[in-house]
Amino acid sequence: MASVVGTFTVDPRARAAAAKRRTRGEGRTAWAFVSPSVLIILGLSVVPVLWSLLLSFQASDLVSPSRWVGLANYRTLAADPLFREAVGHTVVYTALYVPLSVAGGLAIALLLDRKIRLIGLYRTLVFVPFVVSAAAQGVLFSFVLDPEFGAANSLLHQFGLPAQGFFSDPSQALYLLVAISLWSGTGFCVIVYLAGLQSVEPEQVEAARIDGAGRTGVLRYVVLPSLTPVTIFLVLFQAINALQVFDLVFVTTKGGPLGSTTVIVYFIWEKAFKSFTAGYSAAAAYALAVALLVIGVLLQVYQRRVKR
Amino acid sequence: MSDPRTAAPSRRDVLRAAAVLAVAAGLGGCGKSDPETTGGQVTVDLWHGQTDTAKKALDALIAEFNRTHPDIAVIGGGGGVTADSMLQKVTAGLAAGSYPDVAYIFGSDLASITRSPKVADLSGQLQLDAVWPAAKAAITVKDKVRAAPALLDSLCVVYNKKLFAAAGLPAPKAGWTWDDFVATAAKLTNPAKGVFGTGWPGVGDEDTVWRLWPMIWDLGGDVVSEDGKKVGFEQAGEQALATLDKLRTDKSLYVDPKPGGEQLYQVFLGGRMGMVATGPWQLPDILDRKLDYGVVPLPSYSGKAVTISGPDTWTVFDNGSARVKAATEFVRWMLDAQQDVRWDLQGGSLPLSTTTAALPQWKKHAAETSGLQVFVDALETARVRPTITAYPQISEHLGTAIVSVLLGKKSPADALKECVEQSNAVLAVPS
Repeated sequence: MASVVGTFTVDPRARAAAAKRRTRGEGRTAWAFVSPSVLIILGLSVVPVLWSLLLSFQASDLVSPSRWVGLANYRTLAADPLFREAVGHTVVYTALYVPLSVAGGLAIALLLDRKIRLIGLYRTLVFVPFVVSAAAQGVLFSFVLDPEFGAANSLLHQFGLPAQGFFSDPSQALYLLVAISLWSGTGFCVIVYLAGLQSVEPEQVEAARIDGAGRTGVLRYVVLPSLTPVTIFLVLFQAINALQVFDLVFVTTKGGPLGSTTVIVYFIWEKAFKSFTAGYSAAAAYALAVALLVIGVLLQVYQRRVKR
Repeated sequence: MSDPRTAAPSRRDVLRAAAVLAVAAGLGGCGKSDPETTGGQVTVDLWHGQTDTAKKALDALIAEFNRTHPDIAVIGGGGGVTADSMLQKVTAGLAAGSYPDVAYIFGSDLASITRSPKVADLSGQLQLDAVWPAAKAAITVKDKVRAAPALLDSLCVVYNKKLFAAAGLPAPKAGWTWDDFVATAAKLTNPAKGVFGTGWPGVGDEDTVWRLWPMIWDLGGDVVSEDGKKVGFEQAGEQALATLDKLRTDKSLYVDPKPGGEQLYQVFLGGRMGMVATGPWQLPDILDRKLDYGVVPLPSYSGKAVTISGPDTWTVFDNGSARVKAATEFVRWMLDAQQDVRWDLQGGSLPLSTTTAALPQWKKHAAETSGLQVFVDALETARVRPTITAYPQISEHLGTAIVSVLLGKKSPADALKECVEQSNAVLAVPS
């Protein structure tokens, strides 16, 4: 209150000096308050990131003294067919998961963006799978999709269709993982789009209607453009999630059968904690980090251009 | 709210107070970080990774040790992980410089972990004369004793008597061959009732691989050749894989797609599998289900009995000489027949030594548990995987080969050829 009153009583020069002093004082207090989190971020994020960068230039098994090898880890990585396979699987997974979850999320959000009975219940139900942890999803689906005793094959049998191998079939396992992720990940897109739809200006929609736009016209020229920032956010968020997928793979297939679901992060885990080549694993992790950075920057640039 | 000029010093006070607190906390932390000095008692941090009955048995033993050894305090935390993930947990701990004094490490992982200079050398510290040869081999790396045996098992075949009767088959007998096994499995299989002859874990991990070694040893092969430069299963492996391939084409094999291999045993426990190769740890569950079962040694090609044992170890880590001494004292005490027999009865291990196996408590237990003696007798002919650092990688390649055969993606010859090439490349790297 004192400062508000002060604006009426103190002359402008004195006010500027007081403000300067105040910011300096507040700056110190602010640092006191944020320093615990700064320490945590430095200790748990920045230091490990730098440490793993150093690790990626070493041959290390984590337990015995390591040895500096320069870029050898990266060179081996570029020639490693298993890493190339892991990248391929991750790209397929991402290329399917991101567009399908975002488009599916938009479609469901448009369906749920209306005033009907029990709408709150429907919205909640769509979101529920997202709340289930990936580990629990993995366990759940490995029961449903068990080739011999699962519910899925018994259903196929009822319709007279041949039994499927599911997670035991190298040509199906990766696509099943995409399907499971869609089951849970689409709900998140729905919620974000529903929030985005609330911010579409009703006046613009009305104006478009008066100008003779039909439902598709309104969607195409009014709703979708105003949802662009939301869409860019979702594409980035889902792409990061998809490129980092690990827990679902770990619980359901462990990268198998025959390596058909070995994604990059699983490859990293395997190299660090099963083959004990931590330096090599860190190099793979950095390759992934660079890819994520590039995607992030590209989307940022795109968003800026759209805004202009 | 108040005037900023008068409030400024009070902020400084706050900062000063915070600094004093931080220093005090730091000093307090320093005082605590040296457990060797707490009241003249040496603390031993134990990561055992056990659950359920095994944990209960171990907790009781730890309590007794602490009572009888007032100068040592063993703290039996699980390390926050089960035994399956202990290697990863301990490795991360070693990298971070914060590791236990004793950890439960699988025999097949021991060689990898001993690359760390922090693993204590227990040569000459343990009484190993009466310990089974398989257990002794599993704790020896490069001619040094690097751990104490913690648990011992052997692989035998457990079969469902009811399914054998339903198929009109006689009970299998010791000395049977793999051809008998394949034929029996085919006769037991009944797709209409969802009954399989036998099963195999299909993930390609160690659980998939270790069952193949007795077959390879029986055929005169080995994991690595005499000189350690090449794999030793180039010929034998193909025949062993061909046996699996026959089981697959007969459709008498249930391939468990889930990591962990639990489902395989669930199918057996549910009465839908005639025979399963397993260790004595499975008996408590089978008894719980009141399944009418029998146990026979593994079949062979040659008629000579051979099986595999997968011993687990108590590995001691170096956190200063006082703690190593105390930790060694604890594992030595655990190996003593009086403690070993309690651990075996309640924790599900086979006796670690012949001394324990001769104790009346064990004999009574073995007489009461049908089939248990078969597992103990199998120890006479049990071999273990070599304690070499390249083993996990060879296992990975062989695991892939086995799964390609189990899923019918490759012929035994092609699958083995690729595995041999990759494994030889691993062994060519000097270690």
